[in-house]
Amino acid sequence: MGPLIPQGIITGQWDFVIALLIGTAFGFILESSGFSSSRNIAGVFYGYNFVVLRVFFTAMIVAMVGLLYFNYLGWIEMDMVFVLPTYLAPMILGGFIMGLGFVIGGFCPGTSYTACAIGKLDGFAFLGGFIIGVFIFAEAFPLFENFYYSGYMGNITIGEVFNISNELVTFIFVIVAIVAFYVTWLIEKKVRKNRTESKFE
Amino acid sequence: MNKNYLFLAILMIILAGGLLILPERTNYTQINPEDLLWDIIQPSRYVTTDQVAKMLIEQDPTLELIDVRCAKEYNKFALPNAINIPLDSILSPNYSDYLGIEDMNAVFYCNDDILADQAWVIAKRMNISRIYIMKGGLNCWIKTIIQPTPPPETASGDEFDQYDFRKGASMYFTGASISAPKSDSKSQVTIKRKKKTTATAGGC
Repeated sequence: MGPLIPQGIITGQWDFVIALLIGTAFGFILESSGFSSSRNIAGVFYGYNFVVLRVFFTAMIVAMVGLLYFNYLGWIEMDMVFVLPTYLAPMILGGFIMGLGFVIGGFCPGTSYTACAIGKLDGFAFLGGFIIGVFIFAEAFPLFENFYYSGYMGNITIGEVFNISNELVTFIFVIVAIVAFYVTWLIEKKVRKNRTESKFE
Repeated sequence: MNKNYLFLAILMIILAGGLLILPERTNYTQINPEDLLWDIIQPSRYVTTDQVAKMLIEQDPTLELIDVRCAKEYNKFALPNAINIPLDSILSPNYSDYLGIEDMNAVFYCNDDILADQAWVIAKRMNISRIYIMKGGLNCWIKTIIQPTPPPETASGDEFDQYDFRKGASMYFTGASISAPKSDSKSQVTIKRKKKTTATAGGC
């Protein structure tokens, strides 16, 4: 059955309608998970709040397991699902820069919009910086264009790189996620005990 | 720790573990019935023995000949560079790599059309494109390419050209240089053709 657009079940013009619906749902879940507060988000780096890790890891393993069952039942054709191409070194650097922005600003791009949506001033400040950053990046792009496109590995998945099945990758991720949940819960408990400036429920 | 979290964690491990022990997926992606019917009635799904011979002689790299007869018959005689995928094992994963290769034109053949037609329908239902059937199969191959019969004298120039090609192809495939003396009959043919062209030229 799926994916709907590549199979021609619905036309590509539905792209934006679907994006709007998913975006709304995504924003709603971000806000209801407390992601509109930069304190919650930056907490990952200080060890007192791992909600970001929990929410994203949960979303990831649920999606992975769900998609593989859907694929098994023939509801979605995984071979037709778009896989973002990998540019290894630029992506590692990009991830590092994004993480830096995360810890300095207390938001990631999506959560800054969530913060703006509920009228947080720090969200608007982050958004302003974000737009200036986009502008600088676009203007300076020719300077690092070669690096940007280097290390191209194609539309690959982790399973293809290590030559193991997607099912095994998913299983490993689920185990890693659950171990991470437990370990971060322990860290959180320890750090929060020593903290006096803020209270947690 | 909240008991719900423990329950959810265990559920997630069971679901992920279930993926590992699931048997291999067997539901093939199938073409739409309407598309299949439309493709079945297209004469373009057939290629003639002449076309196959031409591609073989020209060593066309896009040609992939697939012999769908049983291995015994294949070993007895097969077209050059043909691979053997018996009809009953066409769905076997051992052969799945041979079907649906990008930019390759797969041509099925057997002794007649019947097995090749079945193989074509199976491959088509698996949504494999660029597949064809050699019309008439090996019987037609022997009749037209290996032992071509001269056309009647009243035949058109095209038919004589085709006959010339088939004789050349026959020599190519059988390696029969012995048929060189037959070139006499070939020259007779060309004389006849000349007559015809002058006749039509006069008519104009």
